[in-house]
This record gives sequence, C-alpha cells and structure tokens, in this order.
Amino acid sequence: MNSFPRFVRPALLALALGALFGTALRADSPAATLEAANRAYTYGSYEESAKLLQELIGTNGYSAPLCFNLGNAEERAGHPGQAILNYERARYLAPADRDINHNLQLARKQAGLEPNSYRWWEVALRLVYPVVGYLVIAGLLVILGAVVGSVIAGRNQLPGLRTVFRAIIFTGIPICLFLGFIELSAIGFTDRIEGVIVANKEAVLRLSPFESAEKVGTIPEGELVTVEQRHNNYYRVEGRDHHYGWVQAKEIEPVIAGSF
Amino acid sequence: MKAFPFFSTGTRRLACIALLTALATAPAFAAATLRQQIDPPEASVGDQVTISYTLQNGNNVNFNLPPVDGLQVAGAGTQSQIAINNMTVTSSFVKTFIVVPTKPGNLTIPAFDITMPDGQVLHTQAMKLHVVTAGTAPAPSSQFNQGAANPQIPRPYNPPFNPNGPVVMPPGAPQGQPDDTATSSSNLSVPMDKDGRPAKVFMIATPKTTDAYVGETIPMRIEFYIRMDVNAQQDSLPTIIGSDFLMNNLSTRPGEDEVVLMNEPYQRDTWVTAISAPKSGDFPFQMKRDTYWAKSTGNGMNDPWGGLFFNRPQLMHQPIGSNQMTFHVHSLPEDKKPANFSGAIGDLKVTGTAEPSAVSVGEPVTLHFEVSGEGNFDYVKCPTLTADPAWKSYTPTAKTEYLDESRTQGVKRFEQAVIPQKNGRLALPDASFSYFNPTTKQYVTVPIHLPAIEVNGNAPTVASTAPAAGPDDAVAPDAPEPKANDLLPNRLELGTLHPRFNPVYRQSWFLALQGGLALLVLAAIALSLRRLRSPDTARLRTDEALRRKTIHAEEDAMTAAVRRNDATAFFLAARHAVQLHLGSQWRLKPEAITLAEIRERDPSLASALEPLFQQADEVIYSGGAGTNLNLAEWEQRVRREYLQLQPVHS
Repeated sequence: MNSFPRFVRPALLALALGALFGTALRADSPAATLEAANRAYTYGSYEESAKLLQELIGTNGYSAPLCFNLGNAEERAGHPGQAILNYERARYLAPADRDINHNLQLARKQAGLEPNSYRWWEVALRLVYPVVGYLVIAGLLVILGAVVGSVIAGRNQLPGLRTVFRAIIFTGIPICLFLGFIELSAIGFTDRIEGVIVANKEAVLRLSPFESAEKVGTIPEGELVTVEQRHNNYYRVEGRDHHYGWVQAKEIEPVIAGSF
Repeated sequence: MKAFPFFSTGTRRLACIALLTALATAPAFAAATLRQQIDPPEASVGDQVTISYTLQNGNNVNFNLPPVDGLQVAGAGTQSQIAINNMTVTSSFVKTFIVVPTKPGNLTIPAFDITMPDGQVLHTQAMKLHVVTAGTAPAPSSQFNQGAANPQIPRPYNPPFNPNGPVVMPPGAPQGQPDDTATSSSNLSVPMDKDGRPAKVFMIATPKTTDAYVGETIPMRIEFYIRMDVNAQQDSLPTIIGSDFLMNNLSTRPGEDEVVLMNEPYQRDTWVTAISAPKSGDFPFQMKRDTYWAKSTGNGMNDPWGGLFFNRPQLMHQPIGSNQMTFHVHSLPEDKKPANFSGAIGDLKVTGTAEPSAVSVGEPVTLHFEVSGEGNFDYVKCPTLTADPAWKSYTPTAKTEYLDESRTQGVKRFEQAVIPQKNGRLALPDASFSYFNPTTKQYVTVPIHLPAIEVNGNAPTVASTAPAAGPDDAVAPDAPEPKANDLLPNRLELGTLHPRFNPVYRQSWFLALQGGLALLVLAAIALSLRRLRSPDTARLRTDEALRRKTIHAEEDAMTAAVRRNDATAFFLAARHAVQLHLGSQWRLKPEAITLAEIRERDPSLASALEPLFQQADEVIYSGGAGTNLNLAEWEQRVRREYLQLQPVHS
C-alpha cells in the first residue's frame, strides 16, 4: 500500500462512501417510495398513496405487503373494487395472513358483499403447493438416481447396494405419487382464473358477448368471479351464485395479474 | 308507604281527626279575625303570585277570589292549624290562591266579604299587584314561589308547570271515583263522593304542557291524595294507561306531605317525572295506580283474643285513575333540519374546550364538550367534528348529570380524543351541535370554536403488525386481534417481491423439469417391470455374462497350463471352455455338453470337436502320463477353431 500515491487512498474512500450513501439516499428506491406512500396514506392523501404504490408494484413487482397497502389506500379513497382486487392479490400471496383477510372481509362487508374467507384446507393448499412441487422434483431425482445406482450395482455385482437402491425406489414412488396428488389438488384450487369486478358500482352481465345482447343481471363492484373464456372485449364469467354471463373486459381485473 | 297503615297510620289518622274536630268546635267560642297577604306584590307576566287569607279562630269556610281582568287563578288550597299556649287553644284557617298575571299593569284584587258559618261577616281589603312584562326583573321577593319557603303558609295545591296549560284538573271523575265532582270557584277541584264529602282517594297528573313535539320530554307532576280517614294502601307506582307515551322511571319513594282540601286532611304523595311521545298525533292521556281499600273489618266476635288476630280489614283492589287529557304531539319539521341533528329537543347551551394546548404528533388532545339546559338528554349526542385529515378522531364518551327530579334539566359532558397527524400549529376541526327549540319551533345549530393546538414531533408510525411477505410465509401466530370495524394499518416493509405474479407451478421450467423427471422415472420403472415379467431371459443374460467371464477364466487357465506343461489341467480348461461356449449358445448347462449331445444337435460340429474331446478324455483318464503333446499348438487350435465354432441352434 505504501507504494500507492498519496491521493489513491482518499479517492478510494470517497468512492466507497459515495456509493454507499448514493444507494441509501436514492429518492426512488423502493423503500423510499413505500415510505412516501405510507406517509401520504397517513395524511389522508389516499389517491396519492395508491398512485405511488401502483408505481412501486409496476417497477419492482408484487408483494403481499404492497398489495395490502394498496388495498387500504383504494378502500380509503372510495374505490371498493380496486381495494378488494388488491386485497385478493395480497391474500393470494400470503393466504394465511389474518390482517389481509380482516381488511378484505371488512371491505367486502362495506361493499355489501358476502364474506369469502378461506377455509382451513384452502389455506393449507395455498401454503403447501410450492413446497410440494419442489418435493416432487426432489423425489423424482432421488428415484432416478436410485434406478441408475441399482443398475450400476447390478453390473458390479454389488447385491447389498442394489437392494438399498431398490428400497429407495419402491418407497419413493408411492411417496411421490401422494405428493403429486396433493400438488394437483392445489393447482386445481389455486389455478382458477379469478377476477374482481372493478366497474363502478356494478357490471352488467349479458347473455352473449355483444353490447346489444340481452342483459341477464348485474354483478356488484368488488365481487370475485371465475373467468371461463374470452371473446373479443368480453369475458364469460361465473358469479358466486353460479350464474353465467358476459361482462366487458374493462370491468374486470384478474387476481393473478396477467392471467387473462 | 307505610307497611301497616291499618294499625299505626290509622290510629294516627283517627287522632288527627279528633284533633281537627276539636279545632272545629273550639273557635266557636271566640270571634274570628282576618289577615291577608299578597306575595310578591310585584311580578312579571306569567309568574306565580300567592294570595292568602288567614282566619284566626275561624272555621272552615268556602270562598273564592272575585274575578280580576288580567289575573288567572291557577290553584287554591286550604290549611287548618291549631296551637295550644298556656291551656289556651287557638286555631287558624288559611286559604291560599295561586294567581298568575296574564298582562302587565297595576292590578287590583277588589275587597269582598267572607261570611262565616255562624253568620259573622269578615271584610277583606283590596290588594294591588304590579305586573311587568316578562323578562323585566320585578322587585325581589322574600316569599316563596311554590309554598315551601314560608312554613306558616300552607302548601297549596300547586301545579308548578305551565300555569296557563290546558289541563290542571280532571275534566271528569277519575276511574273508580264517585260520580259527581264538586268544582270550587278556583281551578282546583276535588272529586266528591256520594256522601258529599271529598273523594277518599284521587290522583292528579299535571304536565308542563299538552302541546309537544315527538321525542320532547314533558315535565309532569303526579299527586296522589289519600283522605286521612280512609284505610287504603298502595303497593305500586302510577303508570300510564296505554302505550302512546314513555315515562321516566319514578322514584319508588314519593315526596309525602299532608294537606287539607275542603276541610278534609289528606296525605299527598308527589312524584316529579317526565314523559315523551314517540309518535305524532293527538293522544289521550291518563294514569292509574293500583289501590287496596279496606271494605270492612272483622268484628272479632269469634276471636278469643278479643279481636287481636281476627280484626283485620277485608281489602278490595281498585285502580285509581287520574285526570284525563289530550296531548297534541307534532312531528319535527323536516325543513331546514341540520345534518347532524340527533333528536335533541329543548333549550340547550353548548360549550367546548380542548386540552392540552401543545402536544407531539400522535399524542391525543382531549376535547371537552358540555351541553346544558332543559331538554331530552337521552337524545343529546356529542357535537360533531368536520372531517379533517390533519386529525384522527375517536369515539367520544358521555356522562349526564341531572339537576332536577324530572330529569329534564341537566348537564351532559362529552370527552373526545383527537390525534394530530402532522406538525405545526393546527386548528382543531370545526365542531357544531344542533337541536330543536320547541319554543321558537326552529332548529338551532351552535358552532363551537375550539383553539388551535401546537403540534411538535415526528410523524406517527402507520403500521403495527409484523409482515407476512409471501406465499412461503407461515401463519403469524401472534398477530393482533383486528378491530372489528376499522381497517388494519399499512405495512412498513416491502415484503418478498415477485416480478411476475405467476406462481412457480405455472412456470414452464418447473413443469418441464417435473415432467422430464417423471418420464425418466416412469421409463426406468417400465424397464424394471418388463424385466420382472421375463425372469428366464434375465437369468440367461446373467448366466451368459457369467459364462463369458468363465470362458475367459478357462482361457487364462489354458495359457497357464501350457506354461507349466500340465496337459491334464490344459485339457480340463479347454474342454470346459468349449462346454461353456456351446452351453451359452444352446442355453444349456456346461456339464450337459457332451460329445454325444453335440453329435445329436450338430453332427458336423461334433466331428470337428471330436479330436479335442477324445484327447481330453485320454489325458484326463491317464492322469497325463506318457503324453508328449504340443500344448502350445493345442492352445492355438482351441482358441482359433474350437471356441469360434458356431453351432446350429435347435
């Protein structure tokens, strides 16, 4: 170090400090934006808070806390449909979070909707499906390895090792089948393409996907529906009362963003 | 109420009657004198004025005030007093009139004569009353307003509420009362029995008004009179007949006193309460009270104890009704009804303060509101605050202190916490209170000016719970119980960000990996199953490998035997190698491969192998002795010819 010129050490130190504080003080960092959104919410600027959170999600992605906060801001701003949509997204990401469920049910109640809390097994499925998927992958790898190992042991006249591999194979196969069944069940539950009505007050349900089609009912703002198919600018949905109809695409937002 | 009025109270009442009888007879021996008084001599329009005439040594006499324009008689009462000084009995009879001036000016109660029962005539003098308009303070009075301040003056029948009210006495006989009513010259009238005496028991309800609004509380005095010589007892409270009115709870123990009406001593029970009507319209009003009468008493003829146990009265239950009246209940006007009107009706005043004057952000400021006056305090709610994002308000608490027995006058105090949400000198939210004034028949909205508060410190924390960031988060077991009707606060952390909302199972790599692995495993399993289904083939394959290995071993053994020049070992190894070779081709055990077997299956092959088998038998059976064989040449023949032969498959 003594061989460095005198100015090198201070320059390196200045560079390091600049990098450190420059990163921390960036006004557009996600943490700073979240803080600004929360401050706006606290001071009653709910529209501003919602806008900041939407920008944050658009830039950095979704998370349960961000969706939860956005739901709060939309609810306070008087947009129950958007509020319920974001609470649903937050619940999708964190199905066991009681705070999210509380605010979601409260927003639904204030919107005049029936509660739709998850049952225990629904929460369990939502919680275990990623773990089960990875477990299935791991199990298949183990079984495959055991098959290869068993062959090698056979060729090398290693009957003891071959027996161990065979035990692994015949134990792993039923376990993987069971886990795969659970995973398929979870996917069946979670992979429903659901959407939330975000139209102002209510969405018109039509018999066919045309503006001139007969009106068969309405779905209130904030209601959760299952999307069956799409035709041009209309989605065919199934309401909670199991009535089918077509609603305009602009009046519904998917819970899983981009799933429509 | 006395528990046993037929013994203790009855005896006391009989003694009182005897005393009054003596009082009635004693003055007959002395001349009566008259003394009169007006109090106060100056009053405002609507005020009560008491005019009393005291007859010393006078007997009970009935007289009335002469009519005076601008003066209305609101009530009258009598009282007899007796005093014994140095064995000298003196008595007095006091008749009191409650009058109410109805217009300003100097009024004169003219002189009139009172004719005593014995024919004596007493001359009253004219009295003057100066009446000023309402709101002008008259000269201060040293006397009472309701008959309680001066013990020398009897407490008259005194309807304290709304002397100009439409009803102060029953228009008809109360229920269960005698069928005629004697009306005195004043407004006070006492129901009469058939025997000409004042009614034994009666009840009078006196409301402040009979013209009210829905929800307005109307003060009411209820007086229950029991003649002293009547054995009657009550074990209930007065109630309203019907369901058109609501009444405050009566105190179980009424005010009790004794009065003399029409020369009859009465015990009077008094309640002061308030009623209200929940709906508009004209509704009849009457009260009743259950009363037990002593119809008769046992004569004790069959009582060996001289009537000690069987001289009990026979009771008869009889409800006593009050005077009847009709209330006119109006709906509150819808026009100009304030948005924050909570149903409060009356004449109310509102004040508001705040403390402390300086706080930090997040610390509460307590607002104190006080609503006082006369009204229906059950409907008095906390003054409303305008929405202000700079302040977060909480639910107020209330406490009511009533200042009168009817619970219509009082003070209701509210405390409400508000919390500043930012720094600076903040004006508190505007507060206001609205009520309906039945006098002016208008809604009144009172603005409440609250001071500005100095707020220091930092912004408050907006979240309070630990996060649950993503689908891989477990349930937060210690999450706080959420409030029932409020949104839970924002989270402070970003959580686990997911650039794409799609779950992992919807991503192609995840599915492809699982599918590929599953296919591999399935393939391996299928192969295993196939192998399991073909056990001979598998075994043969295993045996083939073993044979090949053994052939190589036998070839090595041949080489070693050549090197040792051991003919026996050589031919044993060579023959076994050929047996292994053919056995694997024909799927037979090596031991089964003999020259005869070979000849049977492939005669040409047998011819080719016959020299090897014969030479091998010769050497082996001879023990290898006497042989002079070129083993190296034989080894070459075995390797190149015999082990390369391909038999015919059969």
